[in-house]
Amino acid sequence: MSVGLLRWGDALIGVLAAGIVATAFALAYTPAGEARVLVISQAGAAPQHEPLDRARVLEVAGPAGITRIEIEPGRARCADSPGRQNICEASGWLQAHGEVAVSLPNRLTLQVRGPEPGFDSMHY
Amino acid sequence: MRSVMTRALALLLATVLLAACGRDEPDTEQLGFYAFGTLVDLSLYPAGQYDVEAIGTAVQEELEILHRSWHAWEPGSLGRTNELLALQGEFSAPPSVLPLIERGREMEALSDGLFNPALGKLVAAWGFHQDEPDGPPPDAATLAELLDDPPGMQDIERNGVRLRGTHPDLQLDFGGLAKGLAVERVLELLAEHGVEAAIFNAGGDLMTLGRPEGRPWRVGIRHPHGGVLGSIELEGGEALFTSGDYERGYDWDDTRIHHVIDPRTGRPSRGIDSATVLHRDPALADAAATTLMIAGPDAWPEYARKMGIEHALVVLEDRIEATPALAERVQPGRDQEPFVVRELP
Amino acid sequence: MGASSGDPQAGGDARDRAIAALAAIAIGIQILEAAIPSPVPGIKPGLANIVTLITLLVLGWRAAVAVTLIRVVGSSLLLGTLLSPAFWLSLAGAVASLVLLAALRPFAPRHVGPVGLAIAAAMAHITGQFLLAWAIIIPHPNLPLVLPPLLLAALITGSLTGILTAQVLADPRIQRHVRKPASSP
Repeated sequence: MSVGLLRWGDALIGVLAAGIVATAFALAYTPAGEARVLVISQAGAAPQHEPLDRARVLEVAGPAGITRIEIEPGRARCADSPGRQNICEASGWLQAHGEVAVSLPNRLTLQVRGPEPGFDSMHY
Repeated sequence: MRSVMTRALALLLATVLLAACGRDEPDTEQLGFYAFGTLVDLSLYPAGQYDVEAIGTAVQEELEILHRSWHAWEPGSLGRTNELLALQGEFSAPPSVLPLIERGREMEALSDGLFNPALGKLVAAWGFHQDEPDGPPPDAATLAELLDDPPGMQDIERNGVRLRGTHPDLQLDFGGLAKGLAVERVLELLAEHGVEAAIFNAGGDLMTLGRPEGRPWRVGIRHPHGGVLGSIELEGGEALFTSGDYERGYDWDDTRIHHVIDPRTGRPSRGIDSATVLHRDPALADAAATTLMIAGPDAWPEYARKMGIEHALVVLEDRIEATPALAERVQPGRDQEPFVVRELP
Repeated sequence: MGASSGDPQAGGDARDRAIAALAAIAIGIQILEAAIPSPVPGIKPGLANIVTLITLLVLGWRAAVAVTLIRVVGSSLLLGTLLSPAFWLSLAGAVASLVLLAALRPFAPRHVGPVGLAIAAAMAHITGQFLLAWAIIIPHPNLPLVLPPLLLAALITGSLTGILTAQVLADPRIQRHVRKPASSP
């Protein structure tokens, strides 16, 4: 039984397998992917990362009061925040990579990010 | 035989590793703080090369100074200037105000008067000269009075550093221009600190300094109604400014009162939810974004042309219109309908 | 005549003994592997697959199925994991790779050698395990994210086991065993 040489079938399988692996990585890490983590940036504090895995509610205190954040798998929103104009709440559910909600009274930004950083900055 | 297999295996592993290479670590360093009345974001490239704290402090200090000097209603250089202009006597202007005045003049001329920083009284009448804007809105009589012989930038006479106001109602408010000038200053400051490339983002309006090695800046544009409107790749020295009806305002009697006042009607502009301008001159981009909002859904391309703007985009109630140049550069977001292209006249 | 495509009916008793022996070896390897801590939890080289492949190439697919299933159940019994999630995952992986090996069998050994078979088997194994895990054990929307590294690991371990299989089959001592059933009356 000759086993020294790789047959063409081996090479074919090897190439196909490598292709599958590459595609899997590419699909998992597309830039415009869904949101995976919520980044809470508060002026004067280090950014806080919250994975968007299970449903829960967070409360962040700021100079103007408490901002209530609702997290669900794959998305998050500013449920309640001080400030009469409700700008933070108006952003609604953040679920695409890069979406932002801002609470100026509490000096707070909420941004959801995909599996890898796609945007250097967000214009709004 | 064995060596063939070994080589083949090595090749296979190499292919696999190359194929499996994930994307690199983020190459920028982010810094955020509160300044100039808004949330400021600084993205510095490359990561790990700068004393980020020192740079952040320097930028924050500069913005503090500018914010105080240029404040439309709190005491500062602009406040003092307004007082002296109202007296209609000659005086020496605080130096920090002069660039605002000159560029303000320029923008008023370019926009055929739609952008008029001399109408501070009108803006104040709508309740915007306070931290939390509020009503009541001015009544018909007050409005009529304000619109009768309104002041303009031509009512300021300048002789070197000496100024004289020639209209009793003249009050300067550089709301739609100050941020553009501030952005310009900060970029100069960053360059002085040896920053190779950066994005300075003040409350969403941003400008780039240089560009990372081997790739453009990737900037996302948020849709005013929520979600991502699109994304754009920026080179160095490009400014992106947006004026919107959701920024500062209040509700009165079920009507939304926002801070972009149309000098022709004396009331908040109608029709355009937000206007976005891309240009290398940040002050121009800032003023133009405000102007296009005032110009309205029909005339905005005309005013873009007047101000020398080729890259503009407006969000209307049911669609997004864009100039051909900007439509080409902005990649619409997922679930976003294509932009309606409006040619410049 | 190559022993690799030997007549499955040949040597009845000897064949059953061969299957039992091979299964025993496979169980031994499996247990040893379980004892060695892996650098990444959940990812094992799958060295017991070498036995499956050898069985496939020497005794045929049905024998390989027997050896593999005996190995899965046997090692599970000995490790005390029978009917646990780990057992079902192991079984799912084994079934998936056996199915793919059945499809590839006609091409061996002329067009596909041990390396190709091993890679295919390993990829199928990890995919089968993942699908079961995702469908029943952890139906989390984010789980597919762990798949690419797992697939990569499968590709690498498959290549390694394939090469090892080839080395084992090339060893003259094994060759002697392999030729015996074909030449015995």
